[in-house]
This record gives sequence, C-alpha cells and structure tokens, in this order.
Amino acid sequence: MVDVTLKVGGAAGQGVQTVSEVLSLILARHGYYVFSIEDYQSRIRGGHTFTLLRVAEQWVSGGKGALDILVCLDEATYHLHRGEVKAGGVILGKTGNEAPGEDVRLLPLDFEGVALRLGNRVFANMVATGAVLAILGIGLEEAREYVRETFARKGPEIVAKNEEALEEGTRLVEASGLSSSPFLGGHQNPSRVSRRYLISGNEALGLGALLAGCTFYSAYPMTPSTGILNFLASRAEAYGLIVEQAEDEIAAINMAIGASYAGARAMTGTSGGGFCLMCEGLGLAAMTETPIVVIDAQRPGPSTGLPTRTAQGDLLFVLHASHDEFPRFVFAPRDPQEALNTVIRAFNLAEKYQVPAIILSDQYLADTRWSYDRLSCEERPIRPSLSWDGASPYRRYALTPDGISPRLFPGGEALVVADSDEHDERGHLTEDLALRKAMQEKRMRKLEVMRKEMRLPFVLEGKDATLIGWGSTWGVLLEVRKALGQKGKSIGVVHFSDLYPLPEGLRDFLKRFPNPVVVEQNFSGQLATLLEQETLLPFPKRICRYDGLPFLVEELVEQVAEVL
Amino acid sequence: MTVATLFDAHDVEIAWCPGCGNFGILQALKETLDELGYRPQDVVVVSGIGQAAKAPHYLRVNVFNGLHGRSIPVAFAIKAIRPELLVIAESGDGCMYGEGGNHLLHAIRRNPDITVLVHNNQVYGLTKGQASPTSGEGFRSKAQPWGNLSRPLNPLSLAISQGAGLVARAFAGDKEGLKGILKEALNFRGFALVDILQPCVTFNPVNTYAWYRERVYYLGEDHNPEDQIAAFQKSLEWGDRIPLGVFYRNPQPTYEMKVEGRAKKRRNLFEEEEFQRVLQEEFAQFL
Repeated sequence: MVDVTLKVGGAAGQGVQTVSEVLSLILARHGYYVFSIEDYQSRIRGGHTFTLLRVAEQWVSGGKGALDILVCLDEATYHLHRGEVKAGGVILGKTGNEAPGEDVRLLPLDFEGVALRLGNRVFANMVATGAVLAILGIGLEEAREYVRETFARKGPEIVAKNEEALEEGTRLVEASGLSSSPFLGGHQNPSRVSRRYLISGNEALGLGALLAGCTFYSAYPMTPSTGILNFLASRAEAYGLIVEQAEDEIAAINMAIGASYAGARAMTGTSGGGFCLMCEGLGLAAMTETPIVVIDAQRPGPSTGLPTRTAQGDLLFVLHASHDEFPRFVFAPRDPQEALNTVIRAFNLAEKYQVPAIILSDQYLADTRWSYDRLSCEERPIRPSLSWDGASPYRRYALTPDGISPRLFPGGEALVVADSDEHDERGHLTEDLALRKAMQEKRMRKLEVMRKEMRLPFVLEGKDATLIGWGSTWGVLLEVRKALGQKGKSIGVVHFSDLYPLPEGLRDFLKRFPNPVVVEQNFSGQLATLLEQETLLPFPKRICRYDGLPFLVEELVEQVAEVL
Repeated sequence: MTVATLFDAHDVEIAWCPGCGNFGILQALKETLDELGYRPQDVVVVSGIGQAAKAPHYLRVNVFNGLHGRSIPVAFAIKAIRPELLVIAESGDGCMYGEGGNHLLHAIRRNPDITVLVHNNQVYGLTKGQASPTSGEGFRSKAQPWGNLSRPLNPLSLAISQGAGLVARAFAGDKEGLKGILKEALNFRGFALVDILQPCVTFNPVNTYAWYRERVYYLGEDHNPEDQIAAFQKSLEWGDRIPLGVFYRNPQPTYEMKVEGRAKKRRNLFEEEEFQRVLQEEFAQFL
C-alpha cells in the first residue's frame, strides 16, 4: 500500500504553501488521499516554514514524522530536516555539505536558477512541483490543467511559462534517473473517477457557517482563525452576508450580538487572546439571552504565546469564561467533515436555547487539509422560533418552566427590550432581588435541557488501553490505534466533540473502558481534569504535548507504548 | 412644558437625580421622535452603562442596553441587518469617549446611518464624581484630589477631523434648540454625533445650568457646516463663549448603502431544495 510522506520547506514568502497546495490538489485529483499539516512562523518573509504532506492509497487522518521525500526550497531546510529522511528516501532542491542519512539519495536542484532562466523567480514553485511530481511518478496532465485554471486571467504567456516550468522540473528529475522507480509508480488511478475532496478546518468552519444561514460575521484578524474571515468574505457578495472586520475583538462580539438581536444568525471568530477580550461580550450574550456562535481557534499562550502554533489549552477557560455563571455550549469538532456539521448544530442550539455556543478549533485543525471520498452534511439550519401570544406587555424574559422565553426581533408590533443589567420579565433593569434570583434560576434551568442535546463521545473499543481525547486529536488517535494494532495491541479510542454541558450518564459510560489514557495538547490534561470533576472517576494517565507542535503518529505510538 | 408623546413610558421609575440635565434630553428626544412621525416599534435605542445609558428604559421603544462603552458596535450591527429601523446610540461621556472611544473612531470611518447622542456632563455620575474624558484640567474628585492632570477630550474636533457625517453640539437646558438639532441629526443619512452639554447637579459644581446659559450661543447663518476647516476652527471655541448647533455636515454614502444589494442575495437555506443547491455548489469547490 502506498503511503508516502513528504516535506516541503523554505523561508516564508518562498512559496512553500503554494507548492504543497498545488501538490495536494493534483494528488487528490489523481484519487490519492492527502493529509497536509502547515508549520509556519509569525512573520511574512524569511525564517523557516514547512508543510508536511502525506499521500496514501488508503484514507489517512494524521501526519508522520519519517520522510520519504524532502523538498528544500532553501538550504536551511536541508540542515534542519535532512535527519528526518528515512532509508530509501530522496532529498531534492538546495542541499548542503553535510551527508544525509544512510541510503538517502540526494538530488541538488536549483529551482530558482531554472526559474530565472525562464524569465522570473516566481516560476520556481512550478519547477519544484514538476520535479516532485516526477519523483512521485505522476504525469503532468492535472498539473497543466491547474496552471490553466489558475493563471488564465494572467494571459497565455504566463500559462505557457508555468507549464514550461513544470516540464523543466520533470526533465531535471528524469535526467538524474530518479524517476525510474517512482514512489507512487503503478498505483495511480489513471481514470481519475475518484477525485478526493480536499478541505481544511478553517474552510469547513466557514462553510458550516454559510450552510447554517449565518448572515453576519464580525472578527478582528488573528491567527489561526483568520482563514474563517477570509472564507466568509469570499462568499459575502454571492450569498449576501455582512462580513465586517471589527476594530477589536470587543467590537467584534458586540457587533455579532447586535446583529443577532436584530434578527441575523451571527458569528464571530478569534484565537485565545481575542477570546479574552470577548469575555465580557460573552456574558452580554448570556444575560440578554441573545444567540451567538463564537469560534476560538486555539494557539499556545498565555498572552501572545506562539501565534502560529497549535494547542488545546483553552478548554477550561472557555468553560468558565466571563464572570458569574450562565449556560453555554462548548463543542470541539474532530476534523473538517465534522466541523461543517458542528457549526450548523452550534447555530441551531444557540438559537433554540438563546445562549452562546463556543466552538474550539486550533491551529492544527484550522490549517490542516484532509481528503475525503465524499463530504456530507447531515445537519440543517432550523428557523428561529419566534413567539408572542399577543398579550401586552410582551415579556421577552418571561419566567418559563424550561427557562426558554419567547423571542422576537425588533421592528414588529411588540417592543423588544434587552438589558445587560439584571432585568424584569419585560427586559427593564431591576434591583428587585427576589426577581434577580428568579431570573438567574430561569437562565440556569436551561442547562439541564441543553444537556439532553449533547452526544456521547465517539468510541472504538480496545482491550489493552483506551485513548481519550477531544477536538483535533481524533485523527491521530485513530492512526495510533491502527499502528499499535499492527503490533498486536488492542487500543480503544474515546473521543469527545461535545464538551459542555457533558452528556448525561457519562460516569457509567466511561467506567467500562479499560486503562484510560487521556491525550491532550495542553500542560495539565484539562479534559482529564474536567472528566474527574464531572464523573468522580480517576484519570491519572495523561499524555500532554504543549510545545506548539501537533502529535505525529510515530511519536505518539511510542508515548502510548510507554504508559501501557 | 412637558408634552405627552407616543414615546412616553408610563410604568418605570426614573433613577436620575431631581434636576438632572438628562430629563431635558429625554423629553426633547421623545418630542422629536413624535414630531418626526416615527412609531415606537420602528425605533431602536442602544445604550451602554451609566446614568445616561438608562435613558432608553424611560422611552417606549425597542431597547438594547448593552455593556459600558459598547453601544456603538451593537447599534452599527442592528442598522446593518435592519436598515429600515431608526437606530440611536445614547450614553454618557465616560461610556462613549472613555470606555468606548475606539468604537467611536471606527464608526466614523464606517459611516453607518446611526445617530449617537452623548449626554456630556464632564463627570462620572454613577460611580460618584470621578473625572471623565471631558472633565477640565484641575477638576477635583476623590479619585483626583490633586486635580485632573489630563486635558479634556474635544469630541467635536475629533469627529470633524475624521470627516464624520454630521457633528453637532446641543444644550440640555434649551429644549427647543436641542430638538432642532436632534431633528437634523436624525434626518441626516449617515453617522451623526450630537454632543449634548448636560449639567450634573450632584457632582459637577462648575458646569451648571447658569454657567452654560451665560456662555452658549447658536451658530448663525455665517457658519458653513460643509466647510471642514471652518467647522474645526469653531469646534476649538470653548470658555467664555460656547457655540451650539450643527458644526459639520459631510454627506457621503453610508455603510448600509454600500452593502445594500446583499439582502436580496440571501438564500433561503431553510428550504431543503435551496439548501441542497447551495450545498452542491459549495462542495464542488473542494473537489
């Protein structure tokens, strides 16, 4: 079975992402499953950036550390990563003086030099793409089509030059003899009937919002959430959305709340630092019972932390964010496919219970591209349930048995009054403390009905141990289970996407899994702590990664083997 | 004389001090809305926190009484989604110029068709007497026993320098004059800022009704509100003579005009067929 890992590295601004995106697209169109992870620095030019790209015949859901192919757009890439290339592998591009590992072939290629001969440095990306495709054994047909699609607007000369660059890259590899036993040779799907879908977490979150009927998105740019803003902006004119770049995250969440009050389905997105600024607004949504969806794409902190790296350090924070107590939903989708559905669910549940719904993403989920045979969308947006029995005055915050009061938008016959102060049933501010007590109880009553909406975790059984995780680690947990399975270990996976309120019956549910090991991308094991609090079961075995990098398959296999 | 209006709220207890400048502003606003022919259900008044920010509760309108300093982003979004509604953001100087100063700047840039009413009493009332962004230098309070070390913000100069849609100053002690200015501001298409001088009878012993009455005057025919430089120069006048009226008027396309076509493009995703169409169009983008 073909399962090839390649890394494209270079300085920021050199086109690492372009090369890897083009390769991913072409390989997916050839029917391969692709999984690509972005690693980049918080800068525009220079430094070091790379993409890890896994290409396989079977569906893959995690990245591997051992490389078959290393593509060096600069010499630093060679120095930093040559040791990761395994026996039988190839290093191409700008190589250095140090020897590579044993049985690793070197192909020094001057992509930029070739590009300059073609007339412009910018063609270097296509030279590199052509060279990699030749090493993989993929013909240029799809690549040419891509070039024609992408550069048509720039005129026939640019298209021709890019095609020439692809051919030149291929020729260089052929001349070296390295293309004689291509990595994917003989395995490609020539009929191309089964193109794969290719989608990143940020694209899926944006698409989910679009399908949920989101008509208002306000955000302040912040890595790694900015892709959602870009996605929705790209659809704004076609679908009639209002997408506004706010002056800060405080404005962003207040805008979303205002839009929702006025009748829009509204969302805002940010990362942990921006979420900190949104906390007061989160409480405003709760107090005025205005539905909103907030996406927190996590990155390591505290404070500015590592802006472009990944983490799952905000779970306990978002669970408690903003002062005093109020009900909220917290979700953490496991992959782009689920993210699509999660956003629609979050909108629907926020609407139904008139509460904020928080979606936890992270840099890993945001930027990683997954491939699928098909995309599906099981969720459907629900209509807002507006109700008023005509009794005067309209009581926006009527004290009801389940805590959910009749909601209306302004502009109709009834006046709609919302207040961040404690308020009476009509919405006017009050300091009647008995009423305050009744209002707090009304809001908190919703939590128990909300809990019934929450789903139990995803489960794969195993006899030797059970890996417990949440959010973006799902895919790598599946890969680890498979890898350890091949070594004769029976490993289960219990994975949470619905995090708050935790579903009913969780204690009895979790009891049955042997030898639980909680795997998280934070320092202390926040899910483990939450589960201990909620179920009173102990979760002492915790594998925590907090260096900003995602779990890769081989390393996690070793770490799990150690705690077994 | 107090006139009954469609906008009178009858079942609320007003939490302002007797004699507060806020009463004059409240009455003028109710009468203005009535005279302009609005219905209560067509009006949304958004406020922040502070004594002035309680004003919407004393009106018969749609109300969004949000967070301290944050009325403008809420008002902006309501107008963007429901351009047919009249949207007013109303709060005090601490709320609009202090906590929410950044939002004011950026709302001027966006130019939504909203009217911002600032009850400017040059002091924090609800927290009992501290200096506000518009308090004079040397203003003494328990928090500034040595006297305010900062210079006061000039909201008019700020807004005029940034090319705001309409910039005006009014005085709470002259109802008819205030109503005239409110009418101009509410009728103006675009971002309108009305800074309303409001005596605080409890915590501001300096800027009293009498103090203002000795100083205020209305801009005359000789002032051209279309002239940004002249408006800016006028906005610097403060002291023995304090001008009132519309200082600056800069009609330009509003935010809502710029996104006007979008509402029609919204798809009805609650209908399965339409949902499927959008789903298939979008999924195809990822193949």
